Amino acid sequence: MLAPALALSGCAGVSPVLAPHLPAETRRTAIELDATPFYPQTVHQCGPAALATVLQKSGVDVTPDALVSRVYLPERQGSLQTELVAATRGYARLPYLIDPDLSALLAELQDAHPVLVLQNLGFSFYPVWHYAVVIGYLPDDDALILRSGVTRRLVMSAGRFLRTWRLAGYWGLVVLRPGELPARPTAATYLKAAADLESVGQTQAAALAYGAAVNRWPNDATAWLGLGNTHYQAGRIPAAEDSYRQAVRVNPGYLAAWNNLAEVLAERGCYDTAITTLDTALARPGPTDALRKLLLQTRSEILSRRPAGNSADTPGCEEAD
Amino acid sequence: MHSSTIRKAGLYILIFNFLVATFPQQALAGIIATPAAIAAQENHDSLSRLKQLLAREDVRGQLVQLGIDPGVAEQRVNSLTPSEIAQLQPQLDSLPAGGDGLLAVIGVVFIVLLILELTGVINIFNKI
Repeated sequence: MLAPALALSGCAGVSPVLAPHLPAETRRTAIELDATPFYPQTVHQCGPAALATVLQKSGVDVTPDALVSRVYLPERQGSLQTELVAATRGYARLPYLIDPDLSALLAELQDAHPVLVLQNLGFSFYPVWHYAVVIGYLPDDDALILRSGVTRRLVMSAGRFLRTWRLAGYWGLVVLRPGELPARPTAATYLKAAADLESVGQTQAAALAYGAAVNRWPNDATAWLGLGNTHYQAGRIPAAEDSYRQAVRVNPGYLAAWNNLAEVLAERGCYDTAITTLDTALARPGPTDALRKLLLQTRSEILSRRPAGNSADTPGCEEAD
Repeated sequence: MHSSTIRKAGLYILIFNFLVATFPQQALAGIIATPAAIAAQENHDSLSRLKQLLAREDVRGQLVQLGIDPGVAEQRVNSLTPSEIAQLQPQLDSLPAGGDGLLAVIGVVFIVLLILELTGVINIFNKI
């Protein structure tokens, strides 16, 4: 009578941490990405070491030393999460922040993506921030395997890991090759990461990411817009037009795509069709003022470019929609 | 005299940066860029160009204060997106900076043992 009660009250460690987060059919299967390289950190520099580890795994030949000048802050004796993300983009890799939970982390490992994590090895009131790379897990031991600090293979109990990870906001980063998807991608998060790549000039990598996005989410208008914009930037105007048409097909209320479609139409001489396209879009309910202003601006620019006199569009200018 | 020269140089750098930072938008006249489209969809009021520029300068200055070479700080700021810069600007000093860990943890363990010792919960230091 007494023994079960004691077991229940006394030991929090009795119920496994990992098992509920693993798929039933592979609940006992251990995973270890042992091909993940290891860079023992030098003083304070776990940021560059951990980042080099995941970059190398994604096919980038880079050493921690080369990353120090990109991510290390001497006066803080550490590296900021944001700068790890930015440096990843610098190597034409897509930084993807996983959902803040253990299932998401384990899913990435099942997909052969090591996860760079932030841990707080101290307390919430006295934080000790540390970066490490989770490379696997052992369900039978209820433990995770990490490349951490100067330890090549650190086995840490899942309970202890979860505490240090929770105190760091469950922050986890996977580094993806251009066009590669994470294990559990969210369209909005992935597309934001692709747009960020684009905005720092990694157009080619962004184009591959958008390509993967339209395959995965063919009904996502933002993915089509992104793909169209990267085509446009590379001078592939017909391909850009096709993508914009897909964008407005899947979301007729997407004003940015109507705007860009009108622009490429005008660029191939279809001025009237371009203006009609913009007018139809502007007549739709609910465009925000900022977007409406942009569309009106495009409209007046197209009007000013239209040659005077013979203004009728050529036969190839069929209207979108 | 000297400081006014520096101020003037600073102003030129600021103007130059502004032109450079504005360039990508102008190169794509008529096309709405994907980041802008996403921001508009999320109903974010994106910061004005001037505010963005000032935030950039501020973050760059903070990086230099934290021991980064000015030229390198410029590159590091360039690799950040406008929203990342806006996020770093007010709290670059206080955001988590993952570092060594090991020595600090030893320090924490020592302090905890010391407290436990002083409060009489454990009794290890007497034996040394």
